[in-house]
Amino acid sequence: MNTIEELKQLIHEKFEIDVATLNADAPLADYGLDSLSLAELLFTVEEHFNVDFPDNRQDVNTLRSLSALIDELRVPSAA
Amino acid sequence: MRRRVAITGIGLVSPHGDAPEAVFDALLAGCSAITRWGEGDAGPAVVARAPFDVTRWFSRLQLAGVDRVSQLAVAAAEMARTDAGIKALDQGAGVYLGTGMGGAAAIEEAFRSQHSSGRVPPLTVPAFMPNAPAAHIAMRARLHGPVFTYSIACASSAVALAEAAKAIACGEIDCALAGGSEALLQPGALRAWQAMQTLAAPADDPSQSCRPFSADRSGLVLGEGAAVLLLEDYDSALARGARIYAEFAGSGVSCDATHLTKPDAAGQTRALVAALRNSGLAPGDIGYCNAHGTATRIGDPVECDALGQVWGDALASLAVSSTKSMHGHLLGAAGALEAAVTVLALHRRALPPSMHCEQVDPECKVALVREPGQTAPQLQAAISNSFAFGGTNTVLVFRRAS
Repeated sequence: MNTIEELKQLIHEKFEIDVATLNADAPLADYGLDSLSLAELLFTVEEHFNVDFPDNRQDVNTLRSLSALIDELRVPSAA
Repeated sequence: MRRRVAITGIGLVSPHGDAPEAVFDALLAGCSAITRWGEGDAGPAVVARAPFDVTRWFSRLQLAGVDRVSQLAVAAAEMARTDAGIKALDQGAGVYLGTGMGGAAAIEEAFRSQHSSGRVPPLTVPAFMPNAPAAHIAMRARLHGPVFTYSIACASSAVALAEAAKAIACGEIDCALAGGSEALLQPGALRAWQAMQTLAAPADDPSQSCRPFSADRSGLVLGEGAAVLLLEDYDSALARGARIYAEFAGSGVSCDATHLTKPDAAGQTRALVAALRNSGLAPGDIGYCNAHGTATRIGDPVECDALGQVWGDALASLAVSSTKSMHGHLLGAAGALEAAVTVLALHRRALPPSMHCEQVDPECKVALVREPGQTAPQLQAAISNSFAFGGTNTVLVFRRAS
């Protein structure tokens, strides 16, 4: 499973949002995530993928950008 | 000019369920909702859990950062509004809410995470802050008036109700959702209460562990839940043809200022006298007292002493019961749940009993309601006592709707 699909699954499990409705390029706010639920999601994602996001995460607002950040952070540990 | 205040809606998430009339029926029948603490991480204990289906009130997405204490509060507030027959509250309405501890589950989870992984959930603060329940109620109902939280231990929600009624009486607001919420049945919180040696020893039949005024009482039983009353200007309630459960006749507050946890009859007496004066009633007018009655060794006789000092010869005609014997002590929500029970006692003209008291402590010389199903056809007015750690005493007075 690629990172985007894994993220969709995680969001589904956490917030019960239908996977089929999740578009990788749509702003997460479109699914009703506000700044608080996004913070909680990012915490869950960090735990799930065993990564630490940098403090400045303002560029992360879609599944694709989130997935790219995860992949970028995972590279060193995978090497 | 002081306006009259009506109680037109009751919303409960209580150990006896969420339907006010059914909750009252269960209490009137003497049914206890106290059960054994099922998890092995806090030693032997008994508690009163409130059955609650969160999916009725929140989507999973809405639940981010919302502690159980806020979930229960929102549900109770929504049910109070619905029960009052109001589709949407005026935006200027107020929220007056009491809680003792705030988000206990969030606090414990934060400590657990800190000790295990060093990573604490990011929504810990908004989840546990004590004013979160009131804020969630306001957001759900879109209320922009005064939204206040009172954290005064066991008197939290009684004070919240008193303050809301005052705001309506003086014309500051026309309507309020007022009550309390508490959800601290967590292993750490339970252990903290155990450490204070205040909790009841589990009885052979766990449901009978809480025995207020009984010679063999051994302490209080922690409960959880939320209770919210919809209070409104009496004339407005009449004008819209609302069902009025009872009139909020007045309240009295005092502080012992003697000891942080030890109750004081003189302080309680001051609150009782103030409540009678504020409601314009005499001891002989009050037919029922829903006692604070936590079933601690020290607390029950002090309360009886205070009632005796104020009621004097009229004490024999004051029926007294502690419904904590059945629903436990809801701490920050106790005053509101017991206010709801007192209001329903007036509305139904029936007196819920003080259960599990086979032999009354001779130090507790009050007319205890000991048998289930007692009716009170002449009942006109009733009081509900809430006496807090910290010394704050609150007495609420209700009168039958006229």
